[in-house]
Parts: sequence; structure tokens; C-alpha cells
Amino acid sequence: MPNLEPDKKIPPENSVDNDFVSVLTITFTTVFLAELGDKTQIATLLLSAQSGKPLVVFLGASIALICSSFVGVVLGRWLATIISPIKFKYMAGITMIGVGLWIGIQACESLINQ
Amino acid sequence: MLPLLISTFTTIFLAELGDKTQIATVSLSGTSKRPLAVFIGSSAALVLASLIGVIAGGAIARVVPDNYLKLISAFGLLGIGLRLIWPNKSNEVISEV
Repeated sequence: MPNLEPDKKIPPENSVDNDFVSVLTITFTTVFLAELGDKTQIATLLLSAQSGKPLVVFLGASIALICSSFVGVVLGRWLATIISPIKFKYMAGITMIGVGLWIGIQACESLINQ
Repeated sequence: MLPLLISTFTTIFLAELGDKTQIATVSLSGTSKRPLAVFIGSSAALVLASLIGVIAGGAIARVVPDNYLKLISAFGLLGIGLRLIWPNKSNEVISEV
């Protein structure tokens, strides 16, 4: 099991953004808002509607999503060990901007051709 | 029951790989010193979102007759699938990053 304890190598940051609860709430809100209306949620909706067994679909979808979050976290930690923390923060910043733009573009697209 | 579980798992897992929520999780877990918090936060958020999706699906199932449902979901999933494989603008944004 890859160790998931906080990594000593990353220089100590101010405590706010690294305290357990604040990271948890930041992640929860970001991921939850990004997921609403996301294709995976719509697929879950459709699968549960047509299968008539919402519980099974919910189970399958939840396990899949937990596994994919786990893959995401492990990938993030692995990248953090390879790329120097400063460069990684810079790259992560760009990625988050890219993701923000992507969501923004999708939102504008659906607004325009509504 | 099992085929539905496995087909849902594979569909959702593959659709989520490289999805923006997972990219956000990767960035968050890389930059924060609390990967466990990122994992719990992201999993809880995704499970809650799929719960909402499932409940909404269940509600619709009560209103719309079954064969229409299968038709709608067929087209819906087809659309999502095509959007995933079809290289359009929104995919290019991610490949530039």
C-alpha cells in the first residue's frame, strides 16, 4: 500500500491549506461541484433509470468512483515525488486553470446553443 | 444483478479516467500534504453526486414508461460515448494543458 501519510520532503506550508479538514472540504466542494452534471453522473442517472435497479447501479458507480479517486490520489503523490514541489505547484495551477476553462467553455457552449 | 454491477463499474471507471474531476484530484493530492483528506473528500463528493444521479434516475423511472427510458438512455449513453471519442474543442483544451 503506498504510504499516504503527509510527506516530510514537501517544505512546510502555512498550516491553513494543509490542515486535514480544510483540505478535505476544499476537495469535497471542488469535486462535488465539478461532478454535478458531469458525464459520469448523467451516465449513472441513465443506467439507474433504465435498469430499474438503482441500488446496484449506485454500488457499481460508487466503487468505480472511489477507485478512480484512489488512482488520482496515488498518481498525484507519485508525480509530487518526481517533480519538484515548486514546479508541481506551478503545473497543478495550470492544470486547474485548464480544468476551470474547460468547464467554463462547456458551460458557455450549452448556454449559447440552448 | 452482477452483469449490471460490472457493466456500471467499467463504464463509470473508464469514463472517469482522465475526467476533469480526476485531474483535479491529481493536482490537489500532489500539492497538498494531506493525500488521505483529498481521497476521502473526492470519494465522498463523487459518491454523493452519483447518489443524486441514481435517485434522479429512479424518480424518472417512475414517471417515464420503461421502453422510452431504455430509448432515452440508449441515445444518452451513445451521445456521451461519442463526445468522449469524438475530438472536439473541449478535448483539445485539455490536450494543450
